[in-house]
Amino acid sequence: MRKTVKLDIKNLSIERGERDLCCELSFSVQSGDLIRIAGENGAGKSSLMKAILGWVPIEDGELIYNGEDVTQHRDMLLQDQLYLGHTPGIKNVFTALENLKLYCPDKSDRQLEQALEEVQLLAFSDTPAAQLSAGQKRRIALARLWLTDKSLWFLDEPFTALDVKGVSVLEEKMAAHLSEGGAVVITTHQPLLHLSPKVIELSV
Amino acid sequence: MNYRSYFKSEWLSLLRRKQDTLNALLFFVMVITLFPLGVDPSSEFLSPAAGGIIWCATALAILMAVEGMYKEDYNDGSLEQWLASGLSVSILVFLKVFAQWVMVVVPLLLVLPLLAQMLFLPASALGVLMCSILLGTPALFFIGSIGAALTVSLRRGAVLMLLLILPLYIPVIVFATGAVRAAQMEMAYSGQLAILGAISLVALALSPIMAAVSIRASVN
Amino acid sequence: MNWTWFHKLGSPKWFYQWASNWGGRCVYVGLALLLVGVVWGLGFAPQDYQQGNSFRIIYIHVPVAVLAQSCYLAMGVAGFVSLVWQMKLAPVFIKSVAPVGAIMALIALVSGAIWGKPTWGTWWVWDARLTSVLVLFLLYMGVMAIQNALDDQVFADKAVAVVSLVGVINLPIIKYSVEWWNTLHQPATFKLTEKPSMPMEMWLPLLFSAIGLYLFAAGVSMWRMQTEVLMRERKANWVKKEVLEHGI
Repeated sequence: MRKTVKLDIKNLSIERGERDLCCELSFSVQSGDLIRIAGENGAGKSSLMKAILGWVPIEDGELIYNGEDVTQHRDMLLQDQLYLGHTPGIKNVFTALENLKLYCPDKSDRQLEQALEEVQLLAFSDTPAAQLSAGQKRRIALARLWLTDKSLWFLDEPFTALDVKGVSVLEEKMAAHLSEGGAVVITTHQPLLHLSPKVIELSV
Repeated sequence: MNYRSYFKSEWLSLLRRKQDTLNALLFFVMVITLFPLGVDPSSEFLSPAAGGIIWCATALAILMAVEGMYKEDYNDGSLEQWLASGLSVSILVFLKVFAQWVMVVVPLLLVLPLLAQMLFLPASALGVLMCSILLGTPALFFIGSIGAALTVSLRRGAVLMLLLILPLYIPVIVFATGAVRAAQMEMAYSGQLAILGAISLVALALSPIMAAVSIRASVN
Repeated sequence: MNWTWFHKLGSPKWFYQWASNWGGRCVYVGLALLLVGVVWGLGFAPQDYQQGNSFRIIYIHVPVAVLAQSCYLAMGVAGFVSLVWQMKLAPVFIKSVAPVGAIMALIALVSGAIWGKPTWGTWWVWDARLTSVLVLFLLYMGVMAIQNALDDQVFADKAVAVVSLVGVINLPIIKYSVEWWNTLHQPATFKLTEKPSMPMEMWLPLLFSAIGLYLFAAGVSMWRMQTEVLMRERKANWVKKEVLEHGI
């Protein structure tokens, strides 16, 4: 089972230069929740995630994580979450295995290889990531999700560049994560096939 | 990710990208070669100027090495992962700069005796020159890392970074060349070396914080 | 101590209205004082027994040089305030003052060179203070360059705050390193803590022009800040009201 989490977003407003994003947005994320942030390009989906994680400034509103104000104590939230952005931090100079080792240093090689197996990359575990395709690099990053036991997943467009097989693996893993008491916040343009998320609609 | 795995990976990536370090070193040698060719190859000119020439070349080579230090991390999303990891960004910056410093300065110190000989630097001053490099270059790396963090999101940030950072290198160059000159004139040089060390310590204490602020602002 | 004024500075609207009252006054009083100081200094103050009439450039050179340093110091303080308390007006201040300070540094360099010709016999010498003003000018250019290079307002504000703060920490180190390196320059004219070394009738006009220039620069900076505030807050209701009522 995953650690129980409860993240409350109350009347959140973000400002990016000229644009006001997410005016007075409120919702909450709890164990077992799958939340899809929807909206057109430029509606502020990625900015919302980054604001929750703390590197886009918040104009107004509150963020409460397990009863604590996130703007004061961000460590708790950061320790319990795993964030994968548009570019998921896979280094070109490293092989697939080395990339995973950087992010999950406490796992044995055996476990890392098993995770790569699940995303059909075991054959490439010794190949520098520079020689892999964008979709393969994303799959390395996704393998991090099931190597760690973080409760909260923040996935920003995780399906980009993934093939059908990759999408279905990720959806299966998300379902398993939710049933174990985890929570997922996801932005995606393509609809989820097997899961029915709570949708938060952002308008431009 | 933890500090240890990060530091290990930083080493590994620096070792895989040895060519970058080598380029900085070659650039250093090139700049030094320009002085005898462009000004005067006689030992009357070169011998007193050697300390200054070597230090100017060092400063430029270090700027070249430092300029792109976060570029790749920025492009592949690693900087976002730094921020999301919950680790202290200042400490990550410190580890990165430290690794980079060792990678550049150790080979630099190895070629230095040769170049000092070519510039007719008296052997008695060589030790002081090496000490000044050892004590002064950390400041150059740490201050430079702020500029690199500020300009990382710009496609052509190199010149801007030079403009921002070079003026801040002046004190280091002044005191380092002062120490070498004092040694050449057989005067006391420990004061200058102490100040160099002090500047490096101040830079070491403050720059990671400033670089962390800049990285946080760059990534969004 | 009462800190309400400090918190009020966080409100662009409050600042705008405050500056509408004080900006103009500062500029005009400053100009008047500057004029008195310069005319007095150039026309009526006694000659220097060594340098003759050429010393009179002091009435422009010294105020400008001192102001150039003060501006950077103020920018550094604003950078600190901006990073620590995230005050909205601090980056506006840095952005508005940087060009003023840069021009002061440039005038100090040019007037210094002009003064150097009759005194030292060359336009430029690698003297400590000339060099440190040159470095100061470059630091100003750096702040302005990064301001212009970054498109994102939030990021640009952070960046200039970092650059000015780092610059201010370095400024004394640079100054002393250069001073230690080479000094030809005469010792500083202005020392508030000591009795002036020049006679009263030479020193008073200098004081007038210095205070005048400070006020003038403060007023001009307020005007520039007002423009910047209008620009940044152009979507706010109070700006619409302000413009409709008073015009631009």
